[in-house]
Parts: sequence; structure tokens; C-alpha cells
Amino acid sequence: MIHIGEAGHQKIISVGIDIGTTTTQLVMSRLTIKNSSPGAVIPKMDITDKEILYRSNIHITPINEHLLIDAHQVKKIIEAEYKLAGVKKEAVETGAVIITGETAKKGNAKNILEATAGFAGDFVVATAGVNLESILAGKGSGAAKYSKENHKIVANIDVGGGTSNIGVFKGGRTLDTACINIGGHLIELEKHSDKITYISDPARLVINDMGLQLGVGERVTQSQLIQISKKMAEAILETITKRKVAGLAQQLMMTPPLKEDYKIEKVMISGGVADYVYSDYRPVSVTDITKYGDMGPILGWAIQEAFKKEGIQLAKPAETIRATVIGAGIHSLEISGSTIHVNSGTLPLRNITVISPFPEGVPEKAADIAKLLKNQVDRITVQDITEQNLAIALKEPYDMSFNSVNELAHGIFEAMEEYITQKKPLIIVIEADCGKVLGQCLSIIAKASNELICIDQIQVDEGDYIDIGKPVMGGRVVPVVVKTLVFEKAK
Amino acid sequence: MTVSNEMEKAIIESVLQELSKRGVNPAAAVEEKVKNVVTQEKTSSEVSDEIIDMPDITKHWIPEPANEEALEAMKKSTNARIGLYRAGTRQKTDSLIRFLADHAVARDAVFMDVSDEFLQKMNLFGVSCVAADKEEFLTKPNLGMKLSDEAVQTIKEKCESNIQVQIVIVDGLSSTAIERNIPDILPALTQGLKAAGIKVGTPFFVKNGRVRVMDQIGMLLNAEVVLELVGERPGLGTAESMSAYLIYKPSEKTVEADRTMISNIHRRGTPPAEAGAQIVDLVKQMLDKKASGIKLNKA
Repeated sequence: MIHIGEAGHQKIISVGIDIGTTTTQLVMSRLTIKNSSPGAVIPKMDITDKEILYRSNIHITPINEHLLIDAHQVKKIIEAEYKLAGVKKEAVETGAVIITGETAKKGNAKNILEATAGFAGDFVVATAGVNLESILAGKGSGAAKYSKENHKIVANIDVGGGTSNIGVFKGGRTLDTACINIGGHLIELEKHSDKITYISDPARLVINDMGLQLGVGERVTQSQLIQISKKMAEAILETITKRKVAGLAQQLMMTPPLKEDYKIEKVMISGGVADYVYSDYRPVSVTDITKYGDMGPILGWAIQEAFKKEGIQLAKPAETIRATVIGAGIHSLEISGSTIHVNSGTLPLRNITVISPFPEGVPEKAADIAKLLKNQVDRITVQDITEQNLAIALKEPYDMSFNSVNELAHGIFEAMEEYITQKKPLIIVIEADCGKVLGQCLSIIAKASNELICIDQIQVDEGDYIDIGKPVMGGRVVPVVVKTLVFEKAK
Repeated sequence: MTVSNEMEKAIIESVLQELSKRGVNPAAAVEEKVKNVVTQEKTSSEVSDEIIDMPDITKHWIPEPANEEALEAMKKSTNARIGLYRAGTRQKTDSLIRFLADHAVARDAVFMDVSDEFLQKMNLFGVSCVAADKEEFLTKPNLGMKLSDEAVQTIKEKCESNIQVQIVIVDGLSSTAIERNIPDILPALTQGLKAAGIKVGTPFFVKNGRVRVMDQIGMLLNAEVVLELVGERPGLGTAESMSAYLIYKPSEKTVEADRTMISNIHRRGTPPAEAGAQIVDLVKQMLDKKASGIKLNKA
């Protein structure tokens, strides 16, 4: 139990598993949760330290053909790495498993997540989604931190095997994301040879756009590889410079393009290909280029050239190939402010749908609050997400007086009476520092008839999904993972 | 009349005398004019109800900054008066004015009393400690821990004894803190404690009191937990910050380490309603573990 003025802390083990287009890897870390309030102020828990304990080997993502991931093999890889790390799966308390890039498009992505999620402790986020990938990569590479410390808007481009995930950060927070279907592994070749073994659909688009005649089994020249990689690099560059892309780049976009209402002041490249962006590598011969059986090295070189030509100086990332997995393992977790919940057996809860019923602010009177909230809840139920749990997100009550908090509680209860009869927990996520008193009012109005989870100092938006874990620090706070999208459909 | 008025009157009188000596007698007209000037002076020295906008120190005042974002982030990170530029080697006049204003607010918080209207509105009866006036209260801190004989009588008459929680509201070093925070913390406390089935005594207000008056009150009423809400010493950042002190079964042997304290309760610190809910939890722990202060942390 953490008391006023006490310095106590708790350490939890977090794991990040990234199953990507080309590589599968995991990272284990230790997160320290501490009371960051001074002296006699009400304790506030924060994650104060993130220490990487173990970086796994980088494995090739096992696939049996170009259609399905070998789930059995993936599980074996993870088991072996846990053994090498000397960590039992029971010791892992939190983390994230993400399927990224091209692999996410494959038919059995969902099965993989379910198989591996059961692996790592009580509370693991299992998700795939290009926007979330962009955010995690940018956090893992250090771009988000850079934007906060240097007060600049930073774009991080994580160039992996199949996709390039772009995350734009300002003041440490995510400003924008996008994703383009370009990566080092889109064309596979025999190692140290010039023979093409596989051309992915996006690569086919590039080749056709250039008017080249290339097919599987054929030989490719260095000059052709240089041209193709240059075209790919240019498309990536355009997402940053032109924003509203056209032509080939537009065909390759997997999401809407980046918004145009801000200026990017710094660019960072992460991902496996980044190792070649920041090196002195020059393509010498085809056999040298294809040492990994793909276009990674030459694409990296082409990106370096393209950005240099445009006059953009690239910032060095803290992590390259491990950016996304570190983001998943370390940076996906937040700690709530004060909490109140009736039954701790309810947690952890996963994939909670977030609604934000008061975009213009919370009204003054309970009746008005109830009306707005009920509208939103009815709309969601019509969309048939009745199986899932709902979380009501809001910024703050009408004002911070006790009366306004009480009005808010009455309004919420009035609107949610029907929902509560379905025996689902009432979940409130509020940004302002009033979670405990709001929870107190609610539990009295609801006569503690239902599970109640009221957490504060977490910011979520309409359309987010959240996981809430078991309480830590003697029950004071709960870990929360905010997910942007679950299983986003490819464009 | 002020000193300057006196002097003016003397000057005008001697001028009139001189003029009448010379045969000029504008007495009546001059008298009128003097009366006007004097009454004008008087009204202009009354306090005006006009609301003045104080200079805004939450924004930076630096002209043509190299990095606006960075400055905003720095301003957000602290209440300290940074980024307010300069006039030569000194602070700007607006900065000085704001400083004087905040200092005045702090002084008022210390020297003013909690108003009777406020106590009536909050349904709190008031008693005093032994200090004769505010000055004695401020210069002799020990007097703040002792209730007057009249106070002891009143408390015995109006309060329940042998209760689980006694709430005491003390002005301490900021009457402003009490007037600003009590309306939101008190209902949160009473609602939460009642819902938990905890027996709460009759809350009341103590004037010219310090933290340790809670000990005498606790012993007087044989309360299990005394919860005291007291105004904190004001500063330039805020003059309305309040602390909550809690103690389990105080006695003559009570030391400061026996108290649990929550500080910085105000709208820009821990909001009062939220602090109320947090304190309810704390009270439950104290009643459960039968301890407060360091002993509670160790329990």
C-alpha cells in the first residue's frame, strides 16, 4: 500500500512480441512504477523507468507458403527465447503482441495472436493495425521523445520488410499517422544471386509503373534494382513532402495520406532497412545486394540518397530494427490516476470500446448529460457491439465543484440504467483529476449494484479500444493500454 | 482628513487671510471650491468596485522568440514567473504590479477572518482559541493550540461525543483557503463517510487556531479520528491552499509523526472534491488499522 509521502515502487515485467513481414522478435523489459508526487501531496503513480532486460535473436517469420503464417513455429520461437532469457511466462505481467506489415494481411493473423496471447501473462495486448504500428515504432525509435525534448515536430518512418509506417509526433504525443506499402522484402531473390523468387503485389505495381518486364524466375540487373529502389524511395519521400500523393505513391498508400496542417521539422528512419540508411553502404554488385535474399540494403541506400537530394537531414534513431517491438513492449502501457472499482475479480478487461459523448463539453444539468449519453449508447448498440464492454470517455465535468461532479454522476447513471441491467461493468475514463469523487458519487447512486471502474488522468478518444489490467501499487492504480484500431482492414 | 488635506487647508486658509488683508474677498467662492476639492479627495480615497484585469503571467512576454513551442512547454511546466522578459536590467512594470497584487492576496488571506455569512451558509458554528486578536495569534503560535474556556463549553454542548470521526475546520494561516475549498470538500467527505456507515460528529469552525488544536478537540470529544481542514501559509503561487491533517485517538503524548497530512488542496492543486474522496479512503484505513501517521504507514 503506497501512503502519502512514501517512496515505494513496484517493478513489473513487460514483453513485446513483433511478428512482422520478414522478422519475428521479442524484447523483455522491466517497468518501474513509482509515486511521483512530492511530500504530502496525494500519490500519483507514473512509470518512471523502462529497462530493457533481454533482446531476442531476430528470427525469420516462419511461413509455410506465401499465404499462411506457421503458427506452430512461431510458438516454438517464442518458447525458445523465453528459455534463453530465463523468464517464465507466469512472471510476465504485461506487454503487447503485434502482427505487423504484410503478415497482418495474411489469413490466419487472428489465430496467431490468440495462440501467442495465452503465452505471456495475465494482461497482454494482442492487436494488429498499421496506425498503432506507426505510433509504437515512433515511440520505440525515440522519435516521440525527440519531439518532446527538442520541441520539434518529428516524423518517424519505420521501413520494414513489407510496409513503411509513418508516425508524426509533437511534444511527445502522436499528431498523425500513415502507412505506405513499401518495404525491403517486397521482392525476394535467391541469396547472393540475381534470380527473382517472389514479387509481391505492391512490387508488381512498381515494376509495371516503370514499364519493366520482370517475372519470377527471371534475372535482374543491378541497374534495374537501383531503379526500382529509387522509385520506392521516392514514393516514401513523397508521403512526407507532397503529403497528398498521386500516381504510384497513391496506389501504394494503405491509409489516407498525412494531414497538411503542420510542418515536419525533423525526419527519423527506423526499421530493419534503417541500418542501411545511416551507413556508408553503396550497392556494388547484385550478389552483394541480395545477401539477405531481398532488397533491404539497396532500398536503404536509395532512401538515404532520396532524402539527401531533397535536402532533408535525417535524425539518428535510438533503435532501428527493434523500434516497433520495443514500442510494443515498453511504450504501450499507461498508468491511470486514482481508481475505484467494486469487484477486482472483473479485471483484466480487454477490447473495451471507447465512446466520447461530450465533444463540446459536459452540460451542467444531469438531464442534459443523460440525454447526450443515451443517444451515443443507443447508436453503438445498434451497430451491434453488444458483446463488448463500453467505456465512457470525457475530459472534465462542467466544473470541478462537488455539485457538478454529482450532477455528472446522476446523468451518467440515468443514461446507463439499461446498460447496467445487462450485468456489464460501468467504465468511466476521465482526464481531469476527479476519478475518485466521481466514482464515490456513482457508487452511492447505483447503490453498488454493479461493477464500477472509474479511472482518471488517462486521455482516450472516440474509436479507441482500451485494455484495463489488474491493479498495481496496492490497488491504487490500474495499467491501461490504449489501442488505436483492432485488425484494421487493408485498403 | 488626511495629512495632505490638512496641509492644503492650512495653505488655503493662510492665502485667504493674506487676500483679505489686501482687501480681496473671494471668500465664499473659494470656500465652495475648497469644499469640493476636499470632498473629491474623500470619495477618491474610498475603495472602488471597479474590476481591474491583472497582467497575465501564464503566457510568456518575450518578443520574437526563437521557439514559441519550447517557451509554451516551459511555462506549462512551472508556476514560477519565468519568461516575463525585462525592462533594461529590471522586471517589467506589469510583472511588478502582478507581484504586488499576488502579495496583497496572500496578506489578506492571513489577516482576514472567515466571514460570519460563510459560516452561516455552511451551517458551521464557530469557536475561538485563546489568542486575543490576529496579531497575537500570528506572533504567539502556541496560543493556536488551546481553545478558550467558552469554546470548550460550546463544543461540549453542541457536539456528539464518542464518535468515529470529528471534522474540524480551522482558519490557520489562510481564511481564504477555507472559504474557497470547504464548500466542495465537506459534501464529498460527509457523503463518503456516511455511505461507509461511519459515525461522523458535528463539524465546526475554530478561529485563530493552529494544527495542534485538533488534539485537544479529539480528547474533549473522545473521537477516534480527528480530521482537521486548515488553511496553509499562502505564497505567490496561491493563497487558497488547504491541508488536511488526520490523527487517530490523539493524547498528551501525541507527536507530529502521528499525524497523516494531505497538502496542496485547492482548485489548481488536488481539487477539493477529489481530495474529499481520497480522505474518505484514508479515514477507512485509519479506523481499520487503528493508527495514523508513521504508524499507519507501517501497519
